Amino acid sequence: MGSEHAPAMDDLAGHASTPPATLESQLVEAARAGDRMAFGRLYDRFAPMIHGLLLARVPYAEVDDLVHDVFLQAIRRLGSLRRAESFGAWLAAIARNRARDHFRRRADTVDLPDDLVAAPEPDGQALEVLGAIKQLPEAYRDTLILRLVEGLTGPEIAERTGLTHGSVRVNLHRGMQMLRDALGGSAKP
Amino acid sequence: MSDYLWDKRGEPDEEARRLESLLGSLRSRRGAPDIPSGLSRPPLRLWPLVAVAAIVLLALSVTWSRLPQASGGRWQVTWLEGTTWSDIRVVRETSVGAGEWVETGASRARLAVGDIGEVQLDPSTRVALVDTGQRDHRLSLARGRMHATIWAPPGQFYVETPAAVAVDLGCRYSLEVAADGSGILRVEAGWVGIEHGGRLALVPAGAIADTRTGTGPGTPHYEDASSGFDRALDVVDFGGAGAARREALAVVLSEARERDALSLWHLLTRTTGEDRGRVHDRLAALVPAPAGVTREGILRGDRAMLEAWWAELGLGSAEFWRSWTSPWTER
Repeated sequence: MGSEHAPAMDDLAGHASTPPATLESQLVEAARAGDRMAFGRLYDRFAPMIHGLLLARVPYAEVDDLVHDVFLQAIRRLGSLRRAESFGAWLAAIARNRARDHFRRRADTVDLPDDLVAAPEPDGQALEVLGAIKQLPEAYRDTLILRLVEGLTGPEIAERTGLTHGSVRVNLHRGMQMLRDALGGSAKP
Repeated sequence: MSDYLWDKRGEPDEEARRLESLLGSLRSRRGAPDIPSGLSRPPLRLWPLVAVAAIVLLALSVTWSRLPQASGGRWQVTWLEGTTWSDIRVVRETSVGAGEWVETGASRARLAVGDIGEVQLDPSTRVALVDTGQRDHRLSLARGRMHATIWAPPGQFYVETPAAVAVDLGCRYSLEVAADGSGILRVEAGWVGIEHGGRLALVPAGAIADTRTGTGPGTPHYEDASSGFDRALDVVDFGGAGAARREALAVVLSEARERDALSLWHLLTRTTGEDRGRVHDRLAALVPAPAGVTREGILRGDRAMLEAWWAELGLGSAEFWRSWTSPWTER
């Protein structure tokens, strides 16, 4: 059993053996105690991952707001997180749920304020390539976005998501090959 | 394989670099949000209390109706296609409420367990939602295989199977049910408790427990135990009484390693008389009993002594297990 339960971004959890207190765990504990600086450091560390996961699921223009939503939701619920070392996995799950909710709530629109400053318009070619990545299977899509958009290295992706190095490598290289195919034999848009 | 794609070192991969440059414009430039005051609070240390509540609920579950009954909102179901979990594509999203079934057929599905975790359902799996959070979070797995990842405090997520009820103790695990109702629980992280008719198994990461309809959970054992140990334990658990069981128990005891104290400790409550004495002697050779724990006390099923010995196994707090062993009254 479980041999085909290969790692995707969903396969994220803590481990049974008690690991040494990591910086991440210490930051989570400090944030739980109300330390805003610790929360800021967690944000710096995990915001690229959350931004990437959301970018893979919702329209570009709405990602930044949702990243904030995810972190605010996380700080409210930190008390329910039993394993501080599972923070990344837990946060990723909140992000995926938030992305799903986003589509359910889209009908509930509100008028935008007149003084709203629009985000800079992204490069059209970049959105075109992003669109191609978003058509890939979930594991490849997430990993490629974390690598190519967010600029994380493979080891950093593994560390943040809980995936093994081998899984991230596979996802990166298979994903890149599929992206090349999707873009017409070359990765050029 | 390009090292550059992996860690940005080695021979530059021009294609990857060009895409990085292009897609980097989509990166967020925003800082952290302001945290409204009073949002974060120190965590409540409710582990022992929750565990007590869990075991009480687990005991009650024997008589709990298996028909989905309560309602607590609906859970999101993400339907997926793909041959493995690493190669999946979202097909559609639906929701499911208490009293409704999810049957995957050739697809896979991911079920959001409220906001406390996720369950992945393999193909050919059939589950019913029994309670979506009103009293607890509860599924009924009729057949197939599920993989649960739960990040809530222990004792909030239950899975009923034809042979036993599993309660999550903060962990990740797989549960499989065959056509005849027998099953297997495999724990990947944390702990799972599984019970039927007062017969309990506490299964840690790296260990498994078989289940049989009408009998309940077998003795938990580590997956790296010898095949002889594994086969003999199956006979001890499900092979009935008599000479065959006694011979199998002898194999279990002779093949047991120190790590298998987990299994032997459980066998102390699954054997009686002379057999219990033999289990005691082998366990004592592997993990000496602490002061105050006597052979006579173990033979009569002294609960305090069982707990004290458990604490010597290096598997977790005796305080925590006290709540779990409470239904194992002296026998």
